[in-house]
Amino acid sequence: MNLYELYFAGSLLLIVVGVYTLASKRNLVRMVIGLELITLGVNLTIATMGIRMVDGAVSIDALAQSMVAISIAIAAAIAALALSLAINIYRHYGTFDVRKLRRLRW
Amino acid sequence: MSPLLPVLVLLGAAVIIVLVDPLMRGAGAREGGGVIAGIAFFLSLILLASQASAGNQASIYTIFGPESPLTASMKLDILSLYFSMIFCGVGLAAAVYSIRYMILERETGLDRYYPLLLTLIAGMVGVTVANDFFTLYVFWELMAISSYSLVSFRKWSWEAVEAGFKYLVMSTLGSLSALFGIALLYGLTGSLRFDVIRASVFSGGNPAATLSLAMIIIGFGVTAAVVPFHSWLPDAHPAAPTPISAVLSGVVIKTGVYAMLWSLFKVFTPLHYGFGAILMGLGVLTMTFANVVAVMQSDVKRFLAYSSIANIGYIVTGMGIAAYVLNRYPDQLSVAALALTGALFHILNHALGKGLSFLSVGCYIVRAESREISELEGIGAKMPMTTASLGIGLLNLAGVPPLSGFWSKLFIISAGLGIPSDALMFTITLIFVLNSILAAGYYLWFLQRIAFRKGSGEKHSRVREAPPLMLAPLIALASACILITIMLGPVLQFIQSALEVVIG
Repeated sequence: MNLYELYFAGSLLLIVVGVYTLASKRNLVRMVIGLELITLGVNLTIATMGIRMVDGAVSIDALAQSMVAISIAIAAAIAALALSLAINIYRHYGTFDVRKLRRLRW
Repeated sequence: MSPLLPVLVLLGAAVIIVLVDPLMRGAGAREGGGVIAGIAFFLSLILLASQASAGNQASIYTIFGPESPLTASMKLDILSLYFSMIFCGVGLAAAVYSIRYMILERETGLDRYYPLLLTLIAGMVGVTVANDFFTLYVFWELMAISSYSLVSFRKWSWEAVEAGFKYLVMSTLGSLSALFGIALLYGLTGSLRFDVIRASVFSGGNPAATLSLAMIIIGFGVTAAVVPFHSWLPDAHPAAPTPISAVLSGVVIKTGVYAMLWSLFKVFTPLHYGFGAILMGLGVLTMTFANVVAVMQSDVKRFLAYSSIANIGYIVTGMGIAAYVLNRYPDQLSVAALALTGALFHILNHALGKGLSFLSVGCYIVRAESREISELEGIGAKMPMTTASLGIGLLNLAGVPPLSGFWSKLFIISAGLGIPSDALMFTITLIFVLNSILAAGYYLWFLQRIAFRKGSGEKHSRVREAPPLMLAPLIALASACILITIMLGPVLQFIQSALEVVIG
């Protein structure tokens, strides 16, 4: 197993853990964490795809790196928005539990 | 003209509103933000229209630095102009409408509302001018984050924050799915540019490319609200302030359709990938489900939201028929072109019709302070101008001839019957026709309940006609609907040249 496959397996693992978190947890903050895990997995996928073998030497594509940097910034904005919505939901219901909300059916 | 210019106008106006808001608040001018936003939308609409009338040839621009396969780049062709003009037009109507609406509804936070509306439309225009997946993704998220914030704008209401959170989680999952597909494509080809990827991914047998195709359909399908990825829409669209509902239902979901259209037809190409049958299946599922559920709604905004999903079904079916024909019968190019013309034309008709319906219904909601259809029965007689615009919007959506909504559906249906020997296409078209009849039935029934039914007299005794500043965008959109019907020839000619961008 070379480095490339290891990174790819790691990113897939992160995505699977994130999907599991999102599907099994009923706490809003944990759901945001699940979403962030998937984002990390996808970002790692992009970075992995930027690894190229040129004449037996590893070369890193700068395009992938810059895309990951911007994607991380976007993910931070989404996480901030999601958490602020979670706070507002908490103010309305006094709970982070999705099952206690009136209409959130997934 | 650089394609970045309309985007920069919109983003610049957003910054200006934030900067001058303390001054305007000091002067007591609460309308200021809306006026600046309206001017910005009008300016970018003029820029785009002048470019369209100049007979623009497709051209590629880099944001900075020399042209190379690595730099982020933008394009400006007739297809981008067509979509971004629809986006700016509906944005303009929503901004003008908001000026009075937000004051009547006693909303606070206008210094955040108008900048978010501007960044929302700027993101959508940016998506249409992107020439690589990187640029597309950045503008996509600009649009997405603005629309999450706008859906949950009324953060004092439980409905808005819940629907906003649900929308955020589902839509972000969709974006991530598309991003994963893009990452796979990048790994396969080493580039994010559409033309480079198109040149590299042409053999249909590659499993990674097929997986990436599926992830991209799912990812953009969530924003386009294709069933089974639609369940955020009926919650999110009603929860937003009404002008935002009009923008979300009228054009934001069309951005998903544009991204799907571009990545499927221009990056993967139907010639090499047989996704046509899948698109047709998804489209038929979407329209049937949404039409059946729409009939059962008692909340007027939810009713219109479900009808948006159904209309996305029509558009996706049109795209599916085109892809299917291009894949199976490559010599029948005219049938595919007819189906795509119908789909593209329906995007315009639905954007105008649904924007008009949402804005008109918003007038009733402001005056009657209720969203229940049973409470709104008979209110139409008290507000004749609003009812006339709502009537034009609904008749356009219902596809009553000679309005333009009839022609776009007719194009898709006649394309579906274009190859009589194909049983699948015939079945799909049959379901399409049945759905159109059902939809026409419930639109007319809804219009009859609002406009003609004798409601209880006292309930609406204090209802007055909507203020002129709210009526102005209604009248403008209604005249646009009629104008397109009269000028069917030139409009179709413009769509034809947009079509050449897609299938060459």
